[in-house]
Formats: sequence, structure tokens, C-alpha cells
Amino acid sequence: MTLAALAALGLTGAVAVVALGLYNVSAVAGHLPGVSWVLHTTFRNSVWLRAPSEEEVPELDDAELVALGAGHYATACVPCHGAPGQEASATMRAMVPEPPQIEEAVAHWEANELFWIVENGIKMTGMPGWPAEGRDDEVWAVVAYLESVKGEAAPELVLETSEPEEYCASCHGEVGGQVPRLDILSAAYLEAQLQAYRSGKRPSGIMAQAVTSVPEERLAELARHFAETADEAEEAPVADAELASKGEALAREGTRDVPTCLACHGEREDGRRKGPVLDGQRRGFLEVQLTLWRDGIYDYDPLMHAAARDLSDEDIAALAAYFAGR
Amino acid sequence: MALLSACGKDQSALDAAGVDAEAIRNIFMVTLVGACILWVLVNGAFYTLTRLRTDPLDDRFVRPLLIGGGIVVPSVLLIGLLAWALSILPDQRAPGDGLQVRVTGEQWWWRVEYWPDGAEEPIVTANEIRLPAGQRTEFVLDADRVIHSFWIPSLGGKMDMFPGRETRVSLHPERPGRYRGQCAEFCGVSHAWMAFAAVVMPEEEFDAWLEREAGDAVAPESAEAMRGEELFRSEGCGACHAVRGTEAVGQVGPDLTHVGSRETLGAGRLGATLEDFERWIAHTGELKPEVLMPTYDHLGEAEIADMATYLKGLK
Repeated sequence: MTLAALAALGLTGAVAVVALGLYNVSAVAGHLPGVSWVLHTTFRNSVWLRAPSEEEVPELDDAELVALGAGHYATACVPCHGAPGQEASATMRAMVPEPPQIEEAVAHWEANELFWIVENGIKMTGMPGWPAEGRDDEVWAVVAYLESVKGEAAPELVLETSEPEEYCASCHGEVGGQVPRLDILSAAYLEAQLQAYRSGKRPSGIMAQAVTSVPEERLAELARHFAETADEAEEAPVADAELASKGEALAREGTRDVPTCLACHGEREDGRRKGPVLDGQRRGFLEVQLTLWRDGIYDYDPLMHAAARDLSDEDIAALAAYFAGR
Repeated sequence: MALLSACGKDQSALDAAGVDAEAIRNIFMVTLVGACILWVLVNGAFYTLTRLRTDPLDDRFVRPLLIGGGIVVPSVLLIGLLAWALSILPDQRAPGDGLQVRVTGEQWWWRVEYWPDGAEEPIVTANEIRLPAGQRTEFVLDADRVIHSFWIPSLGGKMDMFPGRETRVSLHPERPGRYRGQCAEFCGVSHAWMAFAAVVMPEEEFDAWLEREAGDAVAPESAEAMRGEELFRSEGCGACHAVRGTEAVGQVGPDLTHVGSRETLGAGRLGATLEDFERWIAHTGELKPEVLMPTYDHLGEAEIADMATYLKGLK
């Protein structure tokens, strides 16, 4: 009897808080004493429990990877977390909880934990999860930058860009590695990709951020501009010839499980080809993209997924080496 | 009648067209006739003892009947039948007379390679098996990804095909004709559409056919076929299909060097008229669910017709 009465009382109280607005959600009022500690401790332990193991952390001190992460951080993360040596705006700092300044934000976490936080975001804090599913490769680029901040070896961020061309060029034409060359591709193909990034058809957190940071009506013009502008980023060292020749055999002849790449990506006598140009593309980019096709992260073209599904990591390295040098 | 409709002429274990199928049919017939006789005897005895002679039987009569009819006769019959069946089992795997055919089960088609005696490289084709009459041909079977089973009911017993493990069966067909083979182990969504034509030919005809099959593809002659060849190239078909003598060298799908001379399309899914080629190119996924080959319905009708003309011309 007493239990039932207590339960009814509790239920009435809960309904009153939700339905009558008794709880004060004001950010100015802040949390009741002790609540911040409970929430923060829960957050820390939850990250600790769920982060991947330290063995899964890839090589992060590659300058190209750090530069790519820095390019993304500069537009996507700076508004809340500021840049090294430069605080976020007063408005952003009035959030509850207050987003930690970058140097402080990275100080207490290991790379594997930072990865989990960047990929998943934190509920009820304003920290968003990564906007594209399965793009661990991109999340690691951001983590590579964050790690460089810890070591005070972070590259300068490009914060002020007046023109979209200038903004895009802070990576394309500047950074190698996983960032593709665009000057070998056609304007029509580039524009289609920009639209695919915008709609989410081609999942990429970095490119979705970039393409939504420029006016949509400028996309066609940007595609034309980058198709015509020579890419001057430093070239990765030439792959060993043996690997490239293994890639060539696979690209030309295929296997019982792998179609020949050149039937679609090779040039015909009339100068046309069915798939995008891969000749001269960056190895790092090709490796990442082929892996995404193989693993089904990219599934918008069933043919390309079927073509890549049986590639081994070694095959992918060989094909990337071959097409980069072609 | 519905049950008997499966006993059609081209895919029937009862309509034996070779030595091995005959052996199996004979076992089946002997077992069937024997079973009928036993059925009549058992039921006759039952009827007699329950209706005609209901008075107790003499022990001297019952004991031999139970021991003889219940133990001795069935044991002798079953052991005899087993010995006979086991005795013909090795014939199913007897070595061939020279020609070896390597068949790989794919999802959902058949990769076929002819290795004539002493050949250094195979003659590659797909989805159709031709055999010389009056000779024993050995099959080396293999599979990609999942288990299949190779079976031409009119010519012999079936043999499972395993990924990464060779199995063997040999067939000795005698009566020339066109038979049907079918995958006999569930292998995925389109398992039922995984069939092939098995054509038994007189020996000289077979030799002439194999020589033609070993040759390169004929070049297209008509304007339609030439446009079709160009489309075949620009659509990237050569990534998966080989047409020997051209730049198309893909090995993922069936070899198309002489696809125009085959009797079926899509591994027994369709016939092989010009219209069938058009249907196949434009409706692959509908005709054969989950098939890896994409549907080329983005091509116009005229383009599909050109491509069909080119392929049908690959005799």
C-alpha cells in the first residue's frame, strides 16, 4: 500500500517536471551542485570503455595526414574549440558545458580516445559525431592533427579565406597524400562528385563539410576551376617498380574475381573512357578509395563495389602504385 | 501427370543416353521391380493371415517363415544390392580416354575448360558442355565461393563441387543429342537458373567443333555488329568478359568468344535468339536475381539491338 502510494507520487512528480516545465533548462542557471561532476565522470569513463585499443592507432606523424586534418579542423572545429593560441568567441565559450580550448581538449586524451570522441561526438554537449559513416580514414586525419597540437608541432591553420577557390586550394594543390589531384579529372566529373558529397551519396565528413561551406551555385564554377588548375602539391616518392608491375598485371588482365581496371579506366582510341581518370592520381588517395569500395563504405556504384570486393591490401597497394605512375 | 512432367526427354535419369546413366537406371529399375514384388508378397501374407487363415498356425511353419522371410531373405537381398551398387561405383570415376574437361561452379554459371590429351593450355568456354559419343571423358570439378553440384541426369550421376577442393567424375555418353545439366546443390538466390546445355556429338563432329571453339572470335562484319562491338568496348564489358582476339580479356564472367554458337544464354536461363540476347542485356537482374552482371537498361533500344547483333555474330 505504502509502496503503491510512493510510486504514484513519484510518477506524478515526473509528469509534472516534463509536462509543466518545472525543470529549468537555462544554460545561465547551470547545473545543480554535483551534477557536473557526475556527468563529466560518466563521459570520461564511457570514452575509456569504448575507445578502440591502442594497437589500432595507425601511423599519425605523416605530414600530409596532419595537413589534411588541419584543413578540416580549420573550418569544422575552430568555431567551438578555437585554434592553437587563439580562443573561440565569447558566445561559443558561453555554451554549457563550455567547449574546451583545443590545447586543453587534447591534453587529457590518448589518440585512440580522441578517435572515439571525434567519430562519435558527445551527447548533450553540442559535440557532433562524424557526419559520414565508416570514414575512419578521415577521423584519423583529424586525430593526427590533434596529436600534432599536443606535441606543439601543429601546422599553421588557414583561418581566413575570402574566396571559395582559396578555401578549396588550402588542401587541393597544397596537400598530397590522401587528397586527390583534381587537374587530371574533367569538370563534369568533379561537379558530379561535389553534388554527391553534398547529398551524402558519396560519404565523406571532410568533403561534406567543405562542400557545404561554399555557396551551392558556385560548385560548377569551382569544378571548372580545379579541373584546369595544375596541382603543385609535392609528389609522394615513386613506388618500387616491382609493386607497380604487379599492379599493372592486375589492372590489365584481372583475375577470376577481379575485373580488368583498364576496360573502364583505360583510355580508348577516341580518347574517352567509361570511368574517371586514374593515371597520375595520388597513391594515398587511390589506396583509401579502393579500400572504401572494397569494404562497401562506398556502395553507390554496385559495379565498382563488385570490382573491388576481392582485392587484398597488397593488391590495393599494387594498383595504387601502378596508376600513380601511369 | 504433374509429377511425370519432370521426366522430360532432355533431363531425365530414366532416359539414359550413356553407360553411366544406364547403370544408375538399371539399379533403379531392379530396385523398383524388386520393391513391387516384395510389396505384393508382404501384403499378400498379411491379407492371408488376417483374413483367410485366422486360426493359429503350426510352430513348425511359423519359425522358418519368420527367420527366412524376416532375416535371411532381406539380408541377402540388401547385401546383394549393396555389393552390386558398390561394384559399379568405381566406373563413375574411371579415367577418361584422353579429353579432360575442367568445370568450375560460379554464382550462377559454369566455367568450362577443355584440356585435350597433351594440351598445354585449355580451350575456355562457358555454360555449355559438348562431349564426343562413345568415349569416356573425365571431368575435374571445382567451385568458387560456395558449393555447387554438377549433374547431367541423362548422362550419369551427380558430383558435388567444392571451393578449393577438386572432385572428379567421368561420363561415357553413347547417344548423340542435346541434354540438360543442372546445378543440384542450393547455391544462392539464382540456383534454379544455373543450368547448361550438354550436347553429345559423333566423334568427328566433336573434333571439328573443338577446333573451331579453340579459334579466336570472328570480327564483326555488318554495320550494326560493328557498332555493337564499339559499345561492348565503351561500356567496359571486357572488364569481366573475354572475347579472344580482341582487347577484352576479363575473367570474372563467362568467356564470350563463341557465345553466338551456344544454345542458351545466362546459363540455361534463355534460348539464344537475337531477341534473347536483347532481353538478357536489358533485364539481367529481373531474369536472374542477384546476378553480378549489371542491367544495361540505360542503353537505347537500338544500342541494345546492335550489341545483341554483335554478340550473336560471335559464332
